[in-house]
Amino acid sequence: MRWKFEGACPLVGFRRGLALMYFFWFSALMALSAGQEVKVSVCATTGMVADLARGVGGDAVAVHALMGPGVDPHLYKATASDLVRLQRADLILYNGLHLEGRMQETFERLSRSGRRVRAVTDGLNRARLIRTGTEGLHDPHVWFDVRLWADCVDGVARELMALRPASEGQFQARAALLRDRWIDLDRWARGRVAAVPESRRILVTSHDAFGYFGRAYGFQVVALQGISTVTEAGLADMTQLTDFIRTRGVPAVFIESSVSPAGLERIRKDAGVKLGGELFSDALGTPGEKHGDFDLGTYEGMIRRNVDRIVEGLK
Amino acid sequence: MTLVPEFQYQRVFIEPWTTELGSHGLMALVTFLVGATCGLIGNFLILRRMALMGDAISHSVLPGIATAFLLTGSRGIGAMALGAVGAAFTTHLLIEIISRHSRIKPDAAIGIAFSTLFAAGVVLIAVFADRVDLDQDCVLNGELPMIPLEPSVRIGGLVLGPPPLVRLGCLWVGTVFLLLAFYKELLLSSFDPGLAACLGIPVGRVHHGLMLWLAMAVVASFEAVGAILVIALLILPGATASLLTEKMVPRLVWSLVHAALSAIAGMHLSVALDCSPAGASVVAGAGWFACAWVFSPVGGLIPAWWRRRRASSGGGGTVTGGD
Repeated sequence: MRWKFEGACPLVGFRRGLALMYFFWFSALMALSAGQEVKVSVCATTGMVADLARGVGGDAVAVHALMGPGVDPHLYKATASDLVRLQRADLILYNGLHLEGRMQETFERLSRSGRRVRAVTDGLNRARLIRTGTEGLHDPHVWFDVRLWADCVDGVARELMALRPASEGQFQARAALLRDRWIDLDRWARGRVAAVPESRRILVTSHDAFGYFGRAYGFQVVALQGISTVTEAGLADMTQLTDFIRTRGVPAVFIESSVSPAGLERIRKDAGVKLGGELFSDALGTPGEKHGDFDLGTYEGMIRRNVDRIVEGLK
Repeated sequence: MTLVPEFQYQRVFIEPWTTELGSHGLMALVTFLVGATCGLIGNFLILRRMALMGDAISHSVLPGIATAFLLTGSRGIGAMALGAVGAAFTTHLLIEIISRHSRIKPDAAIGIAFSTLFAAGVVLIAVFADRVDLDQDCVLNGELPMIPLEPSVRIGGLVLGPPPLVRLGCLWVGTVFLLLAFYKELLLSSFDPGLAACLGIPVGRVHHGLMLWLAMAVVASFEAVGAILVIALLILPGATASLLTEKMVPRLVWSLVHAALSAIAGMHLSVALDCSPAGASVVAGAGWFACAWVFSPVGGLIPAWWRRRRASSGGGGTVTGGD
């Protein structure tokens, strides 16, 4: 009888496979939704956004950052395992303002389809952002103005509270703590840059990531490449920058951890100035490496290292 | 941190077919559709010795996209696709005009037309759309891992899948139908244009039609695999099939088989190495091509060597096993 049954319907094997597939899928879903002890899984794009989510969520969330140390978010290409993480995440957090390039369009469509996806810069008043070009676009490197980045905390806290109402108090308390901590950090940075004489507050970097830093802490920022790293600098840009460094007597230039240093290195040699060292621009450092007491894999460690490097290079 | 992730049988071979079917499986399906559509068209390109036409068309899309952006100011898929197909067809016309009305041979004409248009696109973007999120990169590289994240298209209660998958699916079905409808015309005008013209087949129009369809296939495939890898998917299935058989219908079938096997092997490879799925499937496709080259019963390296050895050893008596 058995052979007859199978012979009659060649699709049985296929159907069995399909049933097995649904069983796996269903059990995976069950495992994810069972019990409140399971952490909220958050998938963040950059290290800065991941650090923000960890700060607000604490032990209640498991955060994964797609882009590791030294990765350039403008050029990032997702891998197959990123896709799995993005599909599984309860909440997707990204920087927004087109930092993530084309990934942002997918995120926006995903958000409209009902998934929990949020750009951390969404809540910011657009008037506080630096405009670029003419088409209502803004500079995405918001995290370098620490005060502005501290204002992104609340939006993330609201998302987490909506996902896990039971931990509302915990998220609120942590968010308040984190904001205070970053406002202190902002105050520290302002005090630190006071060591640099006004006339020497010129920051020359590889790409235009430090606009907010310049505005917040009183630096003129000049970069070899534009806001995004996708367009290479032309020859005219390079000579112009060399002349600028010479005439203004800029003491040091700075390379970035996530951008190739070749172009700026040539300008540095042509202009005959020293290298102020490597700054973190679009990615955090390697977790575990220290700057004083601060982990370079965290936002605070990144800001402190950058400010110290800049001050020491220019003063 | 190691360069190559640790090999896990469960993760690499089982999960893509079970728990990860919605992600890895879907990516493999998209790759298959690209390979199947482009592969079918590629067979005829290879016959016409126009394999590099795909290269030309895929590169000339950049100025089309840039022009569409400058004219409409939108980055919507409709305007972009229209501009891309328009530019691709312009390239084809330009190649025809150059090769027909000058002493330049078609291969050189292809080289002139597409590199000029690509350069024009780079200049256009640098001059007009500077500081805007539009660049060579979005044409040259696809975003395959982003496709399964897109919200699904629904018709009635039926969930069809992400929009790019639906578009590619329609295109593939369309390609199969067009092939069935115009098979005789395509085959004759590819093998012997002179004879085809004598028999009253509009050889020129068939050629223009094929190029237009190629342009549409290439543009639809961009989103998934990008302009560079699409060239590989255009040529590899047909080339592999041509090593396996000399008849046209089996060739077309083999190129579909090649597309499927490349997509599947590419999926496992990309999971094992955690790399770009599009790149992995092209590497896998090249691997299958190499296999066909070495083992093909018609003119493969090893069977040919075996036959030569048997012939020279004289008399098959001592050799067992045979063909």
